Amino acid sequence: MNQTEAFDKVIKVITPYTKNTAALASAKSDTRLLEDLGVNSARLVDIVLAFEDEFSIAIDDDSADKVLTVGNAVDLIVAKTTH
Amino acid sequence: MGLWIQRLLSRALIPVSYFFAIVWMKFGRRYQIPALRDTRRRYRQLLREGTGPVVICGNHLTAIDSLLIMWALAPGWRASLKPSLMPWNLPDKQNFSGNIYIRFLCYVGRCLPVVRKGPRDEVRKVLDKVGLLLRSGDSILIFPEGGRSRLGRVDTENFSYGVGGIVQEVPGARVLCVYFRGREQKDFSTMPEKGDKFYIDMKMIKPASASPGLRGARDISGQIVHSLAEMEKGYYDVARQ
Repeated sequence: MNQTEAFDKVIKVITPYTKNTAALASAKSDTRLLEDLGVNSARLVDIVLAFEDEFSIAIDDDSADKVLTVGNAVDLIVAKTTH
Repeated sequence: MGLWIQRLLSRALIPVSYFFAIVWMKFGRRYQIPALRDTRRRYRQLLREGTGPVVICGNHLTAIDSLLIMWALAPGWRASLKPSLMPWNLPDKQNFSGNIYIRFLCYVGRCLPVVRKGPRDEVRKVLDKVGLLLRSGDSILIFPEGGRSRLGRVDTENFSYGVGGIVQEVPGARVLCVYFRGREQKDFSTMPEKGDKFYIDMKMIKPASASPGLRGARDISGQIVHSLAEMEKGYYDVARQ
């Protein structure tokens, strides 16, 4: 999966958890999930689990902890789906 | 090392910390727990019925819920003889970091401050301490909703999964769900109203999940929160009567 495809899918997955929809519409790689998109910190886990389901991958706790921006998520998914 | 010093000091000071906390609640705030004796008997019975570390999970409506639950579960003299009856707490660090006296009280009152939404490494360190304490036979009191419920009811939609992670990491851990609420408590607040009388119900559960990692933590936390929500129905049934 390439970066663009992964980016679009990541945005789709995080949409239900996002409070700041305006920021989501203009999201870039460095957009932060908690601070910029207003995702509840407790829901980060749900987002990681939704990535696992959507992309049929397994994400370990350490990798999950590093998902702080949209770009982090995209990089993780691209890395997991290309190996 | 620091943790064991705190453990030792808090044990030694249980009679003092209990005394002042209970005097303040009982006489300063005039709180009453009508079924106190039965509650304490039931707590001891639940502890005897099984083995394994105990994670106490309460609903959360006021800033002093942990003090009230501690008072409800065991008298000071008994906690002095058996310190595991006085659970450790995980309060939000920002609630008391500015005041040295409160920091001291929290230290001897078995608190491990957590920075809510703080750096994950820091949270991880606290959770590691929690695991150590549980494996050493101490108990811990956690509010699985992650904060005081803004709904005034157990929030089964927005809860934290941290408690699930703790239960997963401690083999054989049991969870004592405690539903505790003042009769005058309509919503969340800093303190219960002066003179309030408290309802308490408790149930021991052994939540489990076939899934490892975060998915398992979510399952376990969900079971705990739904158990609290069930107990809340019981509260409203009693209140209606």
